[in-house]
Amino acid sequence: MSAALAIEAKGLFKSFDGKPAVRGIDIAVPEGSIYGILGPNGAGKTTTLRMLLGIIEPDEGQRSLLGNDQPLEMAREVGYLPEERGLYPAMKTRDAIAFMGALRGLPLETGRKRAEILLKQNGLGDYVDKPIKSLSKGMAQTIQLFGTIVHRPKLIVLDEPFSGLDAINQGRLEHMIRDEAASGTTVIFSTHVIHHAERLCERIAIIAGGEVRFEGLVSDARERLRPQVRLKTRAEDGKWRSALPKDAVVEDDHWTFELPKTGIEPLLKALLDGGAGIEELSVERRGLHDAFVAIAGESAAREMEADALGDAA
Amino acid sequence: MNLWESAWVIARRDFVASVFSRFFILFLLAPVILFAFMIFFSLTTDAQDREASQPVVAVVTDSATSEALNQTRSRLVASTSEQSFPILRYVNPAENVPAQAQAMLADESSNYSAVFSGTLDRPVLTGPMRASDFVGKRLRLLVDESRRSAALDGARAAPAAVELDRVITDRSSGNVATQRRLLGQAAQTLIFGITLMLATLLLSTLVEEKSNKIIEILAASVPLEAVFLGKLIAMLGISLVGLALWGAMAVTALTLFYQLVSNWVTLPSLSPPAVGWIAFVPLVLLYYTANFMLLGAVFLGIGGQASNIREIQTVSMPVVLMQLMVLLLAMNAVNGQEGALTWFGYIFPLSSPMAMAALAAKSGALWPHLLALAWQTLWVFIIVRIASRMFRRTVLKSSTTGSFFRLGFGKKPAA
Repeated sequence: MSAALAIEAKGLFKSFDGKPAVRGIDIAVPEGSIYGILGPNGAGKTTTLRMLLGIIEPDEGQRSLLGNDQPLEMAREVGYLPEERGLYPAMKTRDAIAFMGALRGLPLETGRKRAEILLKQNGLGDYVDKPIKSLSKGMAQTIQLFGTIVHRPKLIVLDEPFSGLDAINQGRLEHMIRDEAASGTTVIFSTHVIHHAERLCERIAIIAGGEVRFEGLVSDARERLRPQVRLKTRAEDGKWRSALPKDAVVEDDHWTFELPKTGIEPLLKALLDGGAGIEELSVERRGLHDAFVAIAGESAAREMEADALGDAA
Repeated sequence: MNLWESAWVIARRDFVASVFSRFFILFLLAPVILFAFMIFFSLTTDAQDREASQPVVAVVTDSATSEALNQTRSRLVASTSEQSFPILRYVNPAENVPAQAQAMLADESSNYSAVFSGTLDRPVLTGPMRASDFVGKRLRLLVDESRRSAALDGARAAPAAVELDRVITDRSSGNVATQRRLLGQAAQTLIFGITLMLATLLLSTLVEEKSNKIIEILAASVPLEAVFLGKLIAMLGISLVGLALWGAMAVTALTLFYQLVSNWVTLPSLSPPAVGWIAFVPLVLLYYTANFMLLGAVFLGIGGQASNIREIQTVSMPVVLMQLMVLLLAMNAVNGQEGALTWFGYIFPLSSPMAMAALAAKSGALWPHLLALAWQTLWVFIIVRIASRMFRRTVLKSSTTGSFFRLGFGKKPAA
């Protein structure tokens, strides 16, 4: 591992009432990166984040947060948005943001000034003195997000940050995460929506059943699967068919199969020589979803999709 | 941030939120409730008080007079009750009996409400004159009955009643003891009453955080001990604001009252507590603080395990009963003898503040209070530590918020 790790965890184990929630979590989050933890609900993402932040203690294993194995000692440098959002309903938006900053050591007055700036920058200047209870759910979630970053942390931890947000606010959040990372802040978030991780993250951990099934670069996860070939021919049959792998499937006049290990050129030659009459040919790099299915299994992927549908509903 | 800085952030938020809430108006009306409670309390403990406050009269006479009075008392007590007459205690007369009587009444280590001297024909009663004049009336009855009895024995006509020759003093050691006991009781009632009023609020204070789902943000930012301490400090601050306000109002009202009535009647002087007013008032405040922090930490610990108001209501009754038991234990310091139970009351952390407040009224030594306050502070930290650990262990589990009270019921099915 390089020395520049914002988070490092080895062998984290936690059980509740005798039932293991996570089993031997190993992750390494480089400083300044955007890191995603992917997995269906109940996979152990929240428990992992809580252990990393020191909210709960692991039964076994070690973790270090910004180089400190006592995470709460680094609280000033960390911003955390929990999965269950919460704010004091009677508090004004500016005060709520400032209070969350104060919990992380930011003087209240500074927090109030920064809160005003954040609200105005994001088109919410009219809501500075409005109580939280008067805001919509999405807006309250945005306020909490501002409270997470108001003290300018080195590390931002977001638990299911996209959950409950509409498409516009999801886009705004993605933009904010990229901005924070561009300024050198490390961002780690958990999600059960693969395309957020795919769009934002350099590195991911795929968790299923309380275990890390994959940890590394998103590109490495994808490269675990060979690219997929889609082919449409004029000839229905002929010598060219012997060039296709045995597990190639045909659907809507298109053949679909994994690119053979020999590469595209021998395949192309065999198709041409065999008189396939190529109408369409594409070689597609596999997406993170396919990688997830391959790594975590079909059932975990189905759970993730169900969770995402639940969010949308 | 260190523990105290973190606790301050929590305390400041809670304090401001509470002071600007409707609850605070209700809280300011609390003296009315407290006053009602004090009346109820004084009625229920009246019998106990009377027993504890039975006056003792020193009989400084020749032995024949003393014997006659004692016999009459025994005869009358047999047909009434022991509490109907003051206790008579024979004391050898010195050369200068009036000076001896004054000295005995001034001696705080003795417990005399009055001194009887002279003879049955020329009785003298030295001591303060109270409104009911219980001691004076009973002594006169005893003298009259003794003289009548002596006349009957001598086959003489019943003698005319004699008046007691009264020597009025400002105070007596017995009255001082009674006043100090009442002072101790008042301090205990004040401490108990305000803590009782805030108990349910303290029980529910963490439920707000849980229902608003803020607890995880707090737990991720500051140590849970700081959350608990912050909440206790905020609530203590609120109650102290209330106390200051009520105190100012009470002092103003009493001053006005004294100015109004002092022209017509002579008001009795209030004996100072044994440690003196200058030490007593801060000590009562410190014991109130300790009591609030100790019981508050227990309530917060219990309340922290509840996940909704219904669970809070479930535990409210046992909590009030527990408080009453603690009060009864502490009351031994006021009314009981210095036995094992009284000492247990001084030492047991939850009753110690109220018991020690009573001790401050009746005993002049200051060092036990320093020891007691250090002992109570230690227990505040121990209870806060245990409560926050229990909270972390049983409540902050996975994404679903757990509850100690559920004991396995109502858990979400595994996905």
